[in-house]
Amino acid sequence: MPQTVVGVDIGNSTTEASAATIGSDGSVQFLGAALAPTTGVKGTPRNVDGVADVVERALRTAGVAVGDLDVVLLNEATPVISGMAMETITETIITESTMIGHDPRTPGGRGLGVGTTVGFGALAETPAAEPVIVVVPRGVDFEVAAGEINAATRRGVAVAAAILGNDDAVLVVNRLDGAIPVIDEVSRIDAVPLGMLAAVEVAGPGQSIRTLSNAYGLATIFELDAAATRVVSPVARALTGNRSAVVVRTPAGDVADRTIPAGSLELKGENRRATVDVSRGAVEIMAAVERVSPLADVSGEAGTNTGGMIANVRQSMADLSEHAVADVHIKDLLAVDTFVPQEVRGGVAGEVALENAVALAAMVRTRDSGMQAVAAAVADRLRAGGAEDVEVIVGGVEAEMAVLGALTTPGTDKPLVVLDLGGGSTDAALIEIDGSIDAVHLAGAGDLVTKLIDAELGLDNLELAEDIKRCPLGKAESFFHVRLENGTVQFFEKPLPATAFARVVTLDGHSMNPIPGRHSMERIRTVRRTAKERIFVVNALRSLRTVAPGGDLRQIGFVVLLGGCALDFEIPQLIADALAPYGIVCGTGNIRGTEGPRNAVASGLVASYAGRSAGVLVGGSG
Amino acid sequence: MTAVSPEQATTVQKRQSERTKVLEERPVNLDGFVQEWPEVGMVAMDSAFDPEPSVRVVDGAIVEMDGRARADFDFLDQFIADHAIDVATTEQSMAIPAQEIAAMLVDPRVTRDEVIAVTGGLTPAKLLEVVKTMNIVEIMMGMQKMRARRTPANQAHCTSARDNPLQVACEAAEASLRGFSEVETTLGVVRYAPLVAMALQIGSQVGTGGRLTQCALEEATELELGMRGITAYAETISVYGTESVFVDGDDTPYSKAFLAAAYASRGIKMRFTSGTGSEVQMGNAEGRSMLYLEIRCILVTKGAGVQGLQNGSISCIGVPGAVPAGIRAVAAENLIASAVDLECASGNDQSFSHSPMRRVARLLPQMMPGTDFITSGYSATPNYDNMFAGSNVDAEDFDDFNTIQRDLQIDGGLQHVKEVDILAARHRAGKALQAVFRYLELPAISDAEIEAAVYAHGSRELIPRDVLEDLKGAQQVMDRNVTGLDLVKALESTGFSDVAENLLTVLRQRVSGDLLQTSAIMTRDLEPLSAVNDRNDYAGPGTGYRPTGARWEEMKRLRHVTSAENPEVEVD
Amino acid sequence: MTDRVLTFIDEKPAEPGKRTDEVLVGISPAFADFFSQTITGMSHADVVRQILAGIEEQEVSARIVRIRHSSDLAVVAHTAAKLSGSGIAIGLLSRGTTMIHQRDLPRLSSLELFPQSPLMTLETYRQVGSNAAQYAKGESPEPVPTLNDQMARPRWQAKAALLHLKETEQIVKGAKPVEVVPQFAEALAN
Repeated sequence: MPQTVVGVDIGNSTTEASAATIGSDGSVQFLGAALAPTTGVKGTPRNVDGVADVVERALRTAGVAVGDLDVVLLNEATPVISGMAMETITETIITESTMIGHDPRTPGGRGLGVGTTVGFGALAETPAAEPVIVVVPRGVDFEVAAGEINAATRRGVAVAAAILGNDDAVLVVNRLDGAIPVIDEVSRIDAVPLGMLAAVEVAGPGQSIRTLSNAYGLATIFELDAAATRVVSPVARALTGNRSAVVVRTPAGDVADRTIPAGSLELKGENRRATVDVSRGAVEIMAAVERVSPLADVSGEAGTNTGGMIANVRQSMADLSEHAVADVHIKDLLAVDTFVPQEVRGGVAGEVALENAVALAAMVRTRDSGMQAVAAAVADRLRAGGAEDVEVIVGGVEAEMAVLGALTTPGTDKPLVVLDLGGGSTDAALIEIDGSIDAVHLAGAGDLVTKLIDAELGLDNLELAEDIKRCPLGKAESFFHVRLENGTVQFFEKPLPATAFARVVTLDGHSMNPIPGRHSMERIRTVRRTAKERIFVVNALRSLRTVAPGGDLRQIGFVVLLGGCALDFEIPQLIADALAPYGIVCGTGNIRGTEGPRNAVASGLVASYAGRSAGVLVGGSG
Repeated sequence: MTAVSPEQATTVQKRQSERTKVLEERPVNLDGFVQEWPEVGMVAMDSAFDPEPSVRVVDGAIVEMDGRARADFDFLDQFIADHAIDVATTEQSMAIPAQEIAAMLVDPRVTRDEVIAVTGGLTPAKLLEVVKTMNIVEIMMGMQKMRARRTPANQAHCTSARDNPLQVACEAAEASLRGFSEVETTLGVVRYAPLVAMALQIGSQVGTGGRLTQCALEEATELELGMRGITAYAETISVYGTESVFVDGDDTPYSKAFLAAAYASRGIKMRFTSGTGSEVQMGNAEGRSMLYLEIRCILVTKGAGVQGLQNGSISCIGVPGAVPAGIRAVAAENLIASAVDLECASGNDQSFSHSPMRRVARLLPQMMPGTDFITSGYSATPNYDNMFAGSNVDAEDFDDFNTIQRDLQIDGGLQHVKEVDILAARHRAGKALQAVFRYLELPAISDAEIEAAVYAHGSRELIPRDVLEDLKGAQQVMDRNVTGLDLVKALESTGFSDVAENLLTVLRQRVSGDLLQTSAIMTRDLEPLSAVNDRNDYAGPGTGYRPTGARWEEMKRLRHVTSAENPEVEVD
Repeated sequence: MTDRVLTFIDEKPAEPGKRTDEVLVGISPAFADFFSQTITGMSHADVVRQILAGIEEQEVSARIVRIRHSSDLAVVAHTAAKLSGSGIAIGLLSRGTTMIHQRDLPRLSSLELFPQSPLMTLETYRQVGSNAAQYAKGESPEPVPTLNDQMARPRWQAKAALLHLKETEQIVKGAKPVEVVPQFAEALAN
């Protein structure tokens, strides 16, 4: 007598169902599928609403009456809690107003000007002796400024350059008798020291300065010895790539790159322990994780951001699973190096420097789950809804079900690894030729990618960062056409919304969302792709090394990508490219040849149940 | 205060009187005053360019009105002639001299019904002529009698500069306790609307139940929220006095009437909004006075079958406020709305003057006689939180308002409430909203946030919420088709049965349709109260509504009243 | 600060622009003509000077056209935008209300709108010029922040209405736009 069975996978954000009939010989015929948002936290009785919804809809698609439902299989949905933190580990401080990183949009003039700084008010009395650089405060009208400079020049004063508080450089230069390099938009112009030797350099549009970004150029201008040149070289480095720059050499002035103590992590492995300072950077942290692996727990230094994040993750899990905090263990940690734009301390023009930062993700998983309570609640609801004879069984371990489901993808065979790319964690499961299954769960997934994009572009807007992660870019060049990131042009019949004009936009298929700020399309694209690489490619390799027999990736034949991020427009390609050198066939799953990367666990539940009921464990194809 | 003061022309140095210097510094001299320019409509009600009243009926249709032949009617003339004016009585009513009709309005011995029997046949120019013979005191006398509902009431704005739903819920609870019958909100970020409208609905049923809520948005979204039962009434459906201004907004009287019918079909209360000054501000007054054009709006409202009107210049108050007799004209427009048997929500809802004295003077012509809603509305938060760009009266005026009620024995709809009761209601509203959000899986509200909101004066004292998460939740409310009944279920399931009961009672009114009657509100006992069962029976001294008995005792309470029994202490 | 006076000379019919690096400034019928200052008393000369400075600082050129057939800000700005080689134009009314428009947008829309004339400052006009020029160059400037003042209504609402009506009186129906060249002179001291 064929049984009507529905497999249900309760995920962190979506609940998926697969309806099938199973013959007495164990053969499986899949009939329908459905998808809905998960109600409540995964693994708690609140999931009942979502489960009931997908079961009913899957049966409807299958054309089966609710009363004919025999069995519902639920996955072992153990809750996963993940947390993230970002720690800046360097800080650039300027002392004595040596300006770095200031790159006004419209400097004036060209070339290099060297002279002693003199205040605008004192220009009229300045003798025609040494070259001077005039410092013009805000509030001085551009015509007045130009007039005074011209008057001084006619008196024989060599005005070598000018530094302006207002955004007036082009206006002033256009009115000068002779062009000089002019830097503007210096917001704290009153902090520029007067009576000091300074140099101003302006390059042409699209070009970079040569002298002030060269340590020896600075040495020449300011007559520095070797020791002083070494001290001043961070300034030159910081000015590389700027279109314009000004350096004021004060006796005590220098630039310091300070490391910020960000706290330490204590890593406990099964046999070994290690302590690593977060400010050492991701490479050292991950090396330490590797050394103590397998990881049994992590704690962070009390009173630091990292410590706080780790403690929060632990507490959330304790609350959810009703365990004591001490019984909750962090099973994985991912550290990623990144750069975050931060305002420079001591700057006079609001300069921003890219500081080193470390992003951390931690993950915690409990062993037992409240799934029996969920099963009972589902049974009650379905029986009340007309499925009077239904039995609700908590099926197998998620990882195993995922692998069985993945094997229904056409073209796959064992040994096969499933990589589930979710929001909070990256999970991998390997099925060997002999059918044995091994699984690993890693911190760092879609949410961390979003956080990296948000931090590196200085957006402070997670919703926008999420948009940028998910969607390709374009630039609205006119009201009727958009240049896509791959260089091609897309034309529109109706004019684009006014908010999209001249902006870089994300294109999500039916609408266009403008991105505020001045980042170029190329920069945003680079940030997006490298964020995905640093999380997903790294985790793909990490997980494969953990489950591969002997840690040898060549022992794995097939990798199937599942989960929300497997639908991303570029992540599967990035991972496939990274795995190709190992001879691995890697691609987005296509469950049962029809469902894409969805429904793996739900289908696997059905397949596993069919196998068991026929006395044999098979990976059936639908 | 205002951002930029005008530059003074350079003058020859001459000695100024010390008194003048003091007077220059008075707040009233920050207000804007202009000379009249009747040719373009920059005049309150006294213009040589307004038409002479006239009417001619042929075969049961008006063929000439106020000096215009039907062939020259614009769509406002046509709508008014065909739908607003009673053809059967018009020629007779128009024949009565204006001064006599005015006397009927003022004379307590002429009943409201007798007046309406005449006004029903009057044209806009005639109605104007009538009020032109009345001074402000006479206008107030008329208002006292012609107000549709016997008992006056009041309306509040409950908004947040941060669109914080928790703050709105707390303010709605306090506003309901203080006596407001209607509460209205609007948003800075339109996407927040579902959460804020829900918060208003829930908060307003804590404290005193039965309060009616509104969320002012663009018309389609406002209608959808109303249809779902997340709001109870709508008001910001605007009509204008010249065809060109109507058309600039892509509308006609018919499109507005259609929208009104959409609300009525769901049993949802609604009214139109208009006000003196809007046409001249947009440069399209067609040479008519502000009040003449406003009277056309009033009659359009009548012709559309809408039960009431929010007027009293509303957002254009700076315009009549700048010309002579402007505030008299504003009182007159309220009176005319009532005189043609419409509910009147009588303005006082927009920042009008820097001078506290002027603000009160503008308020008294509605507060003294009483209107259906003295203000439309009163900012229940400090004005910096008022997202309607500031009201004439705000939360910092509560005690003054209550004192004026007590001084003059006039019922402005409000009462003083003890702090302990206000805190309790705000707290309850916060907990109810927290529970409903949890039930509907919307972003959580923490106890710390509730604590801050309960004790806050305005949004500056609140704990900021994660706006992005809230916006996602707001979208979910729309996607999941959350309705007012879901809110009832949520409140019931989370232990707020009394609030659930109040809300359900408000929603049930849609089935009975009682809130479609003129001037309908709900009493503290959750019974509908409207012009039908609370008819204004004013007929002179000793008659009509007077605050007495328990209500008067309530109005006597202020924050600090010395006890008569023991003058060393204050009344509790 | 010297008192500047603005006059317009060399009036000729306005032609569509050929160069894409230009911004057009569309002025209303009575601008620097019947009126010489904004609603708050800022001189039109200073206003135009700042707008032109903002455009010049971005190394973009500017032309001024007077729109004579309408006092509606959107019409003034959009007409100028259609004549502009870059498609970008600034619209300016005598009382100071301003907008940045683009020729392909619907007339009632805009790139940036500054509806409260009493709140405009010279700094804001400079930024408007700068932003318009950046749009013309195909860049993506951050919109100039708009201000809001609750007490602007009691103070200015009626005066703004009067100024608008006066400006509307200066309309010449059907008149075509003319290009003008600004000339700044120092006011005679009194």
